[in-house]
Amino acid sequence: MIANPTISKRNPWLETALRFQGYLGLLIVFLIGLIFSPVRDGSNLFVDPINQANILRDIAETGIIAVGMTFVILVGEIDLSVGSVLALTATFSAAMLVRLNLDTGVVIVLGLAVGGLSGLINGVVTTWVRIPSFVVTLAMMSFARGFARLALGGLAIPVIAGTGGAPDSFFVFAQRWFGIPVPAIVMLVVAIISGIILRFTPFGRHVYAVGGNPIAARLSGVRVDQVKIIVFVICGVLTALAGIIHAAQLNQGSPNDGVGYELNAIAAVVIGGTSLMGGIGTLAGSIIGAWMLGMIDNILGLNNINSDVQLLIKGALIVAAVGLQRIQRRA
Amino acid sequence: MQTTYPVAPTLMQPPSKIPLLEMQGITKRFPGVTALNSVCFTAFAGEVHALMGENGAGKSTLMKILTGVYSTDEGSIFLAKQPFMPSNPRSAQRSGLAIIHQELNQVPELSVTENFFLGRELKNSFGLMDHKKMRFETIQWLAELGLHLEPERLLKHLRVAERQLLEIAKALSLNAKVLIMDEPTTALSGEEVSQLFTVIDRLRVSNIAIIYISHRMDEIFTISDRITVLRDGHYIGTDTATNFSRNRLIQMMVGRELSDLYPSSQRNLGQTILRVKQLCVQKSQGKQALLNLEFSVAAGEIVGLAGLLGAGRTETLEAIYGVPNKKTVAGKIEIAGKLESMKSPHHAIKAGIGYVTEDRKGQSLILARSVSENTSLAALKRFTKGLFLNLKLEQQENLVVIQKLRVKTPSLETPVSALSGGNQQKVVLAKYLLNSPRLLLLDEPTQGIDVGAKAEIYAIINELAQAGTAVLLASSDMPELLALCDRILVMCEGRITGQLSRQEATSARILEFATQFKPQYQETL
Repeated sequence: MIANPTISKRNPWLETALRFQGYLGLLIVFLIGLIFSPVRDGSNLFVDPINQANILRDIAETGIIAVGMTFVILVGEIDLSVGSVLALTATFSAAMLVRLNLDTGVVIVLGLAVGGLSGLINGVVTTWVRIPSFVVTLAMMSFARGFARLALGGLAIPVIAGTGGAPDSFFVFAQRWFGIPVPAIVMLVVAIISGIILRFTPFGRHVYAVGGNPIAARLSGVRVDQVKIIVFVICGVLTALAGIIHAAQLNQGSPNDGVGYELNAIAAVVIGGTSLMGGIGTLAGSIIGAWMLGMIDNILGLNNINSDVQLLIKGALIVAAVGLQRIQRRA
Repeated sequence: MQTTYPVAPTLMQPPSKIPLLEMQGITKRFPGVTALNSVCFTAFAGEVHALMGENGAGKSTLMKILTGVYSTDEGSIFLAKQPFMPSNPRSAQRSGLAIIHQELNQVPELSVTENFFLGRELKNSFGLMDHKKMRFETIQWLAELGLHLEPERLLKHLRVAERQLLEIAKALSLNAKVLIMDEPTTALSGEEVSQLFTVIDRLRVSNIAIIYISHRMDEIFTISDRITVLRDGHYIGTDTATNFSRNRLIQMMVGRELSDLYPSSQRNLGQTILRVKQLCVQKSQGKQALLNLEFSVAAGEIVGLAGLLGAGRTETLEAIYGVPNKKTVAGKIEIAGKLESMKSPHHAIKAGIGYVTEDRKGQSLILARSVSENTSLAALKRFTKGLFLNLKLEQQENLVVIQKLRVKTPSLETPVSALSGGNQQKVVLAKYLLNSPRLLLLDEPTQGIDVGAKAEIYAIINELAQAGTAVLLASSDMPELLALCDRILVMCEGRITGQLSRQEATSARILEFATQFKPQYQETL
C-alpha cells in the first residue's frame, strides 16, 4: 500500500522545529529579551528573577481565561464575552466583600457561580436556539458589562484590607509563595487539571470529537449539546476566577475593566497552535502563547517602547504563528 | 447480475488513428515510494478511455501530472504531437486539458451564468459586466450539450448532475480537447447517469478525448471504448473494452483472482433482534419521509434495503438509530423484544446498535484525530474507571480490533485522514465492533472503495452475521445486495413496496418494486 506520499516529503529538521515550535518560540522570545534588555548596575533587568516572576503575575489572568477559551475553541465555538464577564465578576466579588462583608470562601464560590451562570447562558442559547456562539457571546459581551454597571453602580468598588474592608485572606491572590506570585500558581494548577481532563477523561475526548466533526461525534453517541454547554460553563467559571484575582491584585472591582481581554485570550490560544476550526490543539500551547505575549510586553516595557508598538508586534506574532502552523499542517 | 442503464445507443465508430494524447514512460518518485513507474497512456480523439486501478494504484498521480499539479521525474507527454509539459494547472487548462472533479469547484450562491463565467467575466465598453452577452453564451454552450437550464438560477438549487454538466459545458467553452472525469457518477441517480452518458456520447462525436475514472464496473463496460489498468504504480495493460470480461479486469487490477469477492455463507438465524412497527418519519412541511414501515431482522440475518435515490433507505436507518428529531418520528422500534425509544444515537448505541453512515468523511470520522481516538470514540465507557480513561486498556483493545479488520495504518496515532478510503471504512466498522453490537446498520458500506478492500469488508460483514449480529444493509450496488442478503426489502417513496427472498431476488424484480410510485404522491413532490 502506498502511503500518502506527501508525508515523507518533509525535512526532518524542519519537522522537529515545527513540532516544538511553541517551546522554540518561547526560547527565541526569551533570548531576544536577554539581548535587548537594559542593563542596570551590571545586571540584566529582563532575566532578573523578580522580573520573570512579574511576567508570570501579569499573564496569570489572560492565561487562566485562555485555558477556558481553549476548551471553547476546541469544540469549534468562540467566547467573546470573557472580558465583560471578568469585569462583572470582579465588581460583583468586590461588592460582596465590601458591602456585604462576606467571607473570602463564600465570595469565591458566589463569584465563580456568576461566571458559570453567564457561561451556561452562552452555552444554552448557542446549542438550543442554534445561534452561532460568535453572536451569542457578542451579545453577552454587551449584556454582562451593562448589567455590571447597572446593578453594581457605574463606579469601581475599592477592595481594601483592614477593618470594614475585605478580609485579609482575600489578598492571598496578591501574595507570592517562594517568590512565585499566587495568581501564576493558580494558573498552572488550572492548566494542569484542565490538561488532565482533556487527555485522560472521556469528556476530554468528547471535546476533541465535537470540535473535529460534530455530526460524527453525535452519531458516535457523544451528547454534543451537553459537551458544548459544559465547555461554556468551564470558560465562564475560569473567567470568574480570573476576575476574582483581578479584584485582589488591583484592589478594586470595576465594571469598566477587562476591555479587550477576549482578544488577548484568543490570541494566546491561537498562537499556541489551537485551530479555530476546532478539534486540534493543546492547553500547554495556550499557556505558552500567553507567556510569549507577556514576555514581549515586558521586553517592550523595559525598553520604554510605546504601547502602540506592542499592538503592532502582537498582530505580527499572531499571523506568524498561525502561518507556521499552516505550513506544518500542509506538510 | 449487471445493472442496466438506459443509455442512448453508443456510436461505435472506430477511434481515429492519431493519438491526441500520448504519455510515455512516466515515472514519479516521492521520497520512499515510487508512485508511478514508467507508465504509458494514450488517448485518441473521440474515445472514452477508462483508467482503472485500486486506490493507490497511481491513477490520481498520473492525472495530477497531466493537469500540471505534479511534474514528472522521467518520461514525456505529447499533446497533438507537440511535446507538452504543463508547469501548473492553469497552463494545462490553456493547452486544452480539463478535469471534472468529484467535488465541484463552484460557488453555490451565484447563478448559472455567473458560475459559467467565473474569473473570466465578459465586459462591455464601459468596463462593466456584460450580463446580456454572458447569459446568451451560457445558454448556447449548455444547448450544445442538450441541456436547458435557466441562466439566472442559483447554483445551490441545481441537482448535482446539472452542476456537473454545467462544469463540462464550461470546460468545452475553454476549448478543452481532453476531458478527465474523476468518479463523476458517485452522486447521481440511474437516470442522471444515463443523461451524463448521453452527453459523453455527444462529446465523443465532437472528437474530444475523455479519460474516465470510476470504480463502478458496469459503467466502465457501458461507456468506455478502451480500458487501461494500473496497479501499484505500474502499467498493467490496455485493451479494447469489449475484450475485457469483468473477471479479467478485476484480476488485472488486484493481481490475483477474486473468484470469492462475495463470501458464500451458511448462517443460522436466531431470535428476532430488530422489529419495526408502523414507523413513520415526517419531513418538513408535513411531507412523509417514511410511511408505515413494518419489518424485522433476526440474529445472523443480513437484510438488504434497496431502492432508488431518495426512496428512504438512509432515512430508515437514521430513524432506527435515533438521528432525526424525536417529534418527527412515530411508530415502535423493538430491540430483542424490548421496546426502545430511540431518542438519540446515544440511546441507540446503549441498546446495542451500530451505524456505518453513507458519508464516512462527513458523518462517521473525526478526520483530524488519530485512528485510535476514532476507533474507541463510541466505546469510551468500556475504558473508563472512575473519572479517568484507562489508556493502556484502550490501546490494547483498539489494536486487537484494528488488526482483526486488517486496517493498514502506519500506527494507531496516525490521523485517520491519512488512510485510504477502504481503511477509513474499516476504522468506522471497528468503532462499532468494539461495542459488540446486536444490530449493525450499514449504509453504502463499500461506496468509493477499491475491489480488494470491498472483498475484505464483505468478509467482515459475513463473519459478523455468522457470529449472530443482525445486519441491515442499505445499498445501491445491486450485485452487492443480491450476493450478501438473505432477504431484500425494496423501497419507493418512503414505503416498502416489496420483499424478496434470496431465491426470488433479481435486479429486474428489485427495479420493478423500486419504481412503484404512487401517482398522487408524485404531484406533491
